Amino acid sequence: MRSAALLLAYSLKRVRALTITTGLLLAALQLVLIFVAGSIQSSGGFDQLSALLPPFARQLLGPSAATFMSFSGIVCLGYFDLAVMIALIALAVTLATTPASEVEIGFMDLILARPLARHWIITRTIVLTALVSAALLALMVGGTWAGLQMFAPAGVPWPSARLVNSLAINVGMLTLCWGGVAMAIGAASSRRSVAGGATGLLALATYLLDYVARLWQPAEKVAWLSPFRYYNPFDLIIGNPLPIKNLVVLGAIAVAGFAAAYVLFARRDISH
Amino acid sequence: MAPISIRGLTKRYGDVRAVNNLSLEVIQGEILGFLGLNGAGKTTTIRILLDLLRPNSGNVSILGHDCQVDGLRARLNIGYLPGELGIYSDLTGREVLDLLAKLSNKAVAKAWRTELQERLEFPESDLRRPLRQYSTGMKRKLGLIQAFQSDPLLLILDEPTEGLDPLMQESFYKLLVDVKQRGRTVFMSSHVLSEVDRVCDRIALIRKGELVLLSTVEVTRKLAARHVRVLFAEDVSIAPVLPPGSEVIEAGPRSWNLKIEGPLGPMLRTIATLPVRDIEIAEAKLEDVILKYYRDGIQ
Repeated sequence: MRSAALLLAYSLKRVRALTITTGLLLAALQLVLIFVAGSIQSSGGFDQLSALLPPFARQLLGPSAATFMSFSGIVCLGYFDLAVMIALIALAVTLATTPASEVEIGFMDLILARPLARHWIITRTIVLTALVSAALLALMVGGTWAGLQMFAPAGVPWPSARLVNSLAINVGMLTLCWGGVAMAIGAASSRRSVAGGATGLLALATYLLDYVARLWQPAEKVAWLSPFRYYNPFDLIIGNPLPIKNLVVLGAIAVAGFAAAYVLFARRDISH
Repeated sequence: MAPISIRGLTKRYGDVRAVNNLSLEVIQGEILGFLGLNGAGKTTTIRILLDLLRPNSGNVSILGHDCQVDGLRARLNIGYLPGELGIYSDLTGREVLDLLAKLSNKAVAKAWRTELQERLEFPESDLRRPLRQYSTGMKRKLGLIQAFQSDPLLLILDEPTEGLDPLMQESFYKLLVDVKQRGRTVFMSSHVLSEVDRVCDRIALIRKGELVLLSTVEVTRKLAARHVRVLFAEDVSIAPVLPPGSEVIEAGPRSWNLKIEGPLGPMLRTIATLPVRDIEIAEAKLEDVILKYYRDGIQ
């Protein structure tokens, strides 16, 4: 346990610069979005923007189109913008494949030559991924509230704390879900690039599946396979509560990934 | 309780047997040289000892603890130097040593670490630098310090002098002798036969995953053919007829160059009637025996 804590502290120290930089960039993005939303709101531009929405975008957004094209909607964009989701998932995948990286460079040989059980390596990695993901989301939420304080025009309704927290929790679970998938693949791999690449391809494929299913009815039948199906920010924006099912499914995928990682890493040969 | 006990160890990669039914016991307080060509199975065996690789069959134990079943206790008293020191290059030498010392679950005596640094000429200023600024030799020295720093009962060293300059090799040999005198056991793989000859008590030679020789260095050396040069006071015209185990390399009127396997007595009795002026006997070399085993393997 003490050794695992030491290893966690060492790993956190190694990723602190990456975490802080990414977190500050994501928080800064929230500020920029709120500044832009405030400018549009002040100039009365949301009505014009809604009119400019092409039909396919209206179909994609559904009844949330009107809500999305509002100050509150643009503020929330920071939690489901593709670049933000890529940043969060990419960082989770990078952290979750830490064991593969340590095997690759040979550091795992030195660690496991000590009296340290293999399961602590996976436990360390789970805690590392969860802590860093939570820290990033906390910075994003902090950025949102700071941005609202600084740039929100007077009198305009803010997104509720429940909405912001729901978005953060849901995207956080999606991030953790991909962390779990990456950890399972990484636990059996000796190359971080292979594990990260495989997870990235899987994420892209399932993202496209979810995207296509929203526009093309026949794809709906298999869309449940995509983890992205269980993060529907537009539903949240129009005021629906965060579905527990989404959290359960994403959490279950993450837990299954972690469990697979424990088993695979315990059984594998450590060779690079 | 043997520091290392290997019984019927087999490790396969598909159809390839990296280690095949290997049995070996390391004696307390000895330095055992683990020899073999590249791909012979040395590193595979070492990695199984550390539970990094899982064997297909057989048992390995360290200090009485099964490496697979009771791996944590087995690894509690080990110092390990891998063939290549894989460490993130942004860490400083100090951070590496501190982290690995803490993971060892054993207190590191500051005086001992300082002594190791002094013996391997590794000053504090170097420890404060990140590893990306280290040369190959410095990384090797850091690897040696991390292996020795907790003063473990058993040292498992994979090619320990690879990348060290001759002076550092000398310091390392002295260090080995010192830890041996303090009752520590050393299991080291090496390609450098002169180093094995100098520091090891016994050698285990592995070829294609199988143990082909396990013996003391002294006995192994005796297996080597000795080169004997017989000088005559006057021309000798008769052809040399020598006992079995002797081979004529070159025969001139005033000197014969011979290669003798086994005792020299029969050969000396044969030449006793000849006008011998002098006999030069070159010391048997361990290398000759080892190389013979290597060559036989290649053939």
